[in-house]
Amino acid sequence: MQHYTTSETVDAVVIGTGAGGAPLLARLAAAGLKVVALEAGKHWTPYDDFPTDERAQSKLFWNDERLSAGEDPLPFGNNNSGTGVGGSTLHYTAYTPRVQPDDLRLRSEFSVGEDWPFGFEEIEPYYDEIEHFLGVSGPANYPWGPVRKRQYPLGPLPINAPGQLMERGCRELGIRTSPAANAALSAPYFQEGVGWRQACTNRGFCQAGCNIGAKASMDVTYIPLAIHHGAEVRPESFVTQLVKDASGKISEVIYIRNGQEERQRCRYVFLCAGTVETPRLLLMNGLANTSGQVGRNVMAHTALQIWGEFDEDIRPYKGIPGALISEDTHRPSDQIAGPVDFAGGYLLQSIGVMPLTYLSQMARARGLWGDALKQAATTYNHVAGINILGDCLPYAHNYLELSDEKDVRGLPKPRIYFSNGENEERMTSHANQVMRSIWEAAGAKNLWAFPRNAHVIGTCRMGNDPDRAVVDAEGRSYDIPNLYISDNSTFPSALSVNPALTIMALSLRTADRFLTRSNRLD
Amino acid sequence: MHHHYPEGTVRALLNTDHVTPATRTTLEARLSLHAPYEPQFFTASEYVLLKAVCDRLIPQTGSDTDYINIARGIDERLTRNESNGWRYDSMPPDQDAYQLGLAGLEATAQSRHQQSFLHLPDAQQDDLLRLIQQAEVEGEPWDRLPAERFFEEILAEAVENYYSHPLAQEAIGYVGMADTPAWQRLGLNTLDDREPRPL
Ligand SMILES: Cc1cc2nc3c(=O)[nH]c(=O)nc-3n(C[C@H](O)[C@H](O)[C@H](O)COP(=O)(O)OP(=O)(O)OC[C@H]3O[C@@H](n4cnc5c(N)ncnc54)[C@H](O)[C@@H]3O)c2cc1C
Ligand code: SF4
Repeated sequence: MQHYTTSETVDAVVIGTGAGGAPLLARLAAAGLKVVALEAGKHWTPYDDFPTDERAQSKLFWNDERLSAGEDPLPFGNNNSGTGVGGSTLHYTAYTPRVQPDDLRLRSEFSVGEDWPFGFEEIEPYYDEIEHFLGVSGPANYPWGPVRKRQYPLGPLPINAPGQLMERGCRELGIRTSPAANAALSAPYFQEGVGWRQACTNRGFCQAGCNIGAKASMDVTYIPLAIHHGAEVRPESFVTQLVKDASGKISEVIYIRNGQEERQRCRYVFLCAGTVETPRLLLMNGLANTSGQVGRNVMAHTALQIWGEFDEDIRPYKGIPGALISEDTHRPSDQIAGPVDFAGGYLLQSIGVMPLTYLSQMARARGLWGDALKQAATTYNHVAGINILGDCLPYAHNYLELSDEKDVRGLPKPRIYFSNGENEERMTSHANQVMRSIWEAAGAKNLWAFPRNAHVIGTCRMGNDPDRAVVDAEGRSYDIPNLYISDNSTFPSALSVNPALTIMALSLRTADRFLTRSNRLD
Repeated sequence: MHHHYPEGTVRALLNTDHVTPATRTTLEARLSLHAPYEPQFFTASEYVLLKAVCDRLIPQTGSDTDYINIARGIDERLTRNESNGWRYDSMPPDQDAYQLGLAGLEATAQSRHQQSFLHLPDAQQDDLLRLIQQAEVEGEPWDRLPAERFFEEILAEAVENYYSHPLAQEAIGYVGMADTPAWQRLGLNTLDDREPRPL
């Protein structure tokens, strides 16, 4: 790997190496720029470092304490954010549906929420490129959304037992399903700058890290590509300050490595620290907030899960966890579950589950303990779940602030307020009804609901109006010309699909826009 | 619906190539945690109380050598002042929450039964815990420690500590750690040879 000295002025510093940071890092390096990525977490060697054990793998989560406030406090840690070279993709489930064009025009369609500053046609070529680079496995004919220009590079992964059951229930009800697109390899795959990656072995452990590189986390895809093209990745480097020079540009980034403060001089900064850490850094440094929007508009997908017990043997630890999808609820018809009284929509996903995740959720949601808990736990091999992911509107009452409490690093803990609004409540109750009918049609008993929201989104939104947005449609700060943001914080609306593929697409788009600017400093 | 599984499944699989070296090291270390444990964070009396609570939340009927020490994991975490990444804003920091909550439990036992929680019969211990779970307790410290949140947190941590232990995993028929070289049979009612059949 290339190494740059801290006395050198590099072209760009990229802060964070997750879905928003890694693709852009590779693109800038491939263009010949001198780039350094500063990543708070470690650079793991998955086969040696990742036991198949949820507890040991809690090291992949961002475990610095955050304060969860509001009516529906968001759990972080294992539910919401990761750290390490690869960021949260180390533990994402690799479910990679594309957004549908109308998701980007929520306000035009429903007069609530926000429109995006560009349309689907801007993102689509990046979807094509990324799906082929990562080796996304998906169906030949996907029933929803615009006709694809390119097929998925690999056929779908096998459907595990929860997927088969959801298929059965949906068939009864006339809801269409499809094998889902997953960024995990259904066959060995060769990538330029990376090499061969092996196929998924159906170990069902994606959320606690893939130890064989079958899942397209950034550490086995865009990061090796970036390094191949001359980028330096500096792990265990926790950024604390962005320093402005007299001209108002950021001239150096200060970070802590091995307990020591280091500084890296640079011409550009790409802040990709995720929806919580990006605004936290900006607020701590008093930067880029003329709009007053930094930390505002926290969104989190509606993500209710319905679990059921079946007579059949399921073994929910096997197979890619999210094997099946339905987007018939993207803009549900009144036939599915009565009149629709909410804006936007959601997708349905079958879910397998690892035991600790399942049992701790069950304890929290059902409040079971004592013998009742132990008996319920013995049904683990017979449970399967369905999950939704749905849009969430931005509200003034949902935001992030710095608290007075300090964390282990001596920095203010972030406090995140989150309460579902009426739209989310209505969508969730619709979904509750739909998922219960599917499970009942499939033969489930003892249904129970795990209420939750997933994926923290927003806090530094993009838009065309500098009074209402933190960054422009390219991801560039309205206040600081050499600062870009690329992560889940810039989404103006939450979308009704999982975010990672779209974050990666915006990341490459930002890099390309940046590279074609004529008046760059490098 | 209850399901019973044979004993010894995970332990046998740990000696095979179906687990990676990293997985084996991790789980064997957990299996060998038998030695008596001296609490570092809790005082001796807090620790005894915590253990008693854990024994009601997840009762264990096996032999002493098979006892899974849930409280130990909590003490170790609090000693390192580690977080799981978040806490309810309405709750005090974890270390304070545990100490306050245990003191509150004991005070509630004393005021209702004029006895220590430790000396109450199981059924009365359970009744008290249920009152806390349903936030039907008042006064100090419950006015600054939401009782139902305290209960939820201690229960979730107990569940995570208990079910991460190979012996508890055997009991629910989980062998997902034996994932090498691959799972071949994924469909309904289809098991790989190494997966345990229910008894
Ligand atoms: C359990 C789980 C399952 C998921 N499954 C899916 C899925 O199936 N499909 C999907 O699309 N999405 C999924 N997601 C969401 C997806 O992982 C995230 O949306 C995505 O990774 C976010 O990308 P990001 O670039 O915004 O942030 P991240 O990927 O979180 O990257 C941020 C990086 O910045 C680093 N960082 C933060 N602060 C600093 C600092 N001060 N200095 C240096 N480095 C810093 C962090 O360590 C981290 O590596 C899942 C998430 C979770 C938690
Ligand atoms: S299911 Fe496949 S992709 Fe997921 S962790 Fe296992 S081997 Fe990796």
